[in-house]
Amino acid sequence: MSRCWLALVEGLPKGADAAAGAFTTDGHSAGTLAAWRRPAKPVRDALRVDERLIDPDGSAGWISLVLPPPGVRLAFDDPAVQQARRLVLLHPFPAGVSTLLRDDSHFEGAITVARSPAEKQRLRDDPFARIFPSRMLSIEAGILGAVSPPTGPTIERYGSDNPWPWDRFD
Amino acid sequence: MSVTRGARDANGSVGMDAVGELAVGTQVPDFDLLDHAGSRRRLSELVGGDPTVLHFYRGWWCPKEQAFFRRLLALQEDAEVAYSRMVSVSVDPPEVNAAFRAGLGARWTFLSDSNRHVQTQLRLRETTDTLNDPYVPAVVVISPDLRIHAAYNGYWYWGRPAHVELVRHLRDISRGLRPDWVPPAP
Repeated sequence: MSRCWLALVEGLPKGADAAAGAFTTDGHSAGTLAAWRRPAKPVRDALRVDERLIDPDGSAGWISLVLPPPGVRLAFDDPAVQQARRLVLLHPFPAGVSTLLRDDSHFEGAITVARSPAEKQRLRDDPFARIFPSRMLSIEAGILGAVSPPTGPTIERYGSDNPWPWDRFD
Repeated sequence: MSVTRGARDANGSVGMDAVGELAVGTQVPDFDLLDHAGSRRRLSELVGGDPTVLHFYRGWWCPKEQAFFRRLLALQEDAEVAYSRMVSVSVDPPEVNAAFRAGLGARWTFLSDSNRHVQTQLRLRETTDTLNDPYVPAVVVISPDLRIHAAYNGYWYWGRPAHVELVRHLRDISRGLRPDWVPPAP
């Protein structure tokens, strides 16, 4: 897996491989959701994401963006994170999902993508939102693709520094 | 022909080495079917790089399947942290599979062979049930190249693998797959 970074930034993201406008549920701008495929972190708040989720040709959708409060970190192997992953596998799978992380041992958020109205409705019960606060955002076309659900029942990460649900060691 | 005799003829010897076209040492065809969400999935993509329990079952309505699924649910608790995968296949349509899967609490992929193409290809039609035309219950444990490491004919319930047998097969395949099975010496 190559390194892929995601961040919600103000204004135009510099050097991003994909980017799209983000809007709150009441239609106000929430910035730009941007992604970079590169080894080094591109901006201060960028987090690693499953690269399969990023597609410059992807259509518009909604996301649940779960991020910890400033200064808060949680071990990736915390039972709360494990249970959230179990629930993602148990429920109808969204258009895409990825945990977000900076290092190999901490859970630092998650992004879940919805496209159909039913998927959008289920975003309100995002299992990762039981861990940290979630923001519901509308995302324009140009950044988010679709990822097939993992086969299951594995919830372990393949190589401890890869975002879940990446499902290979290579 | 008695039911028992028919099953033996259809599935090969009652034991651990063959059921229908599934024989130890051969490869499972890389079929593609709809999953429980209605998305088309190819077996090799589902197996990925891990040992996999591939399970063919009659349908949600069979009490023997309900009992065997409880065994697989117990295995699920181990498999979720052991880089091992599970796939269940029946002739039920995706929406029925989705409901059954949710009711069980299963977190692995269910595939729907409602037009019975794969069932025919694998010679796994249970000819003694002309009402449902279901799969002959069968379990194979396969490696990432889809090669069959173990095969179980579950027509009679005791032909199905026990939890400990599945663990042993998954361990054997994992040992061969993981170059660092023996941890590096300090």
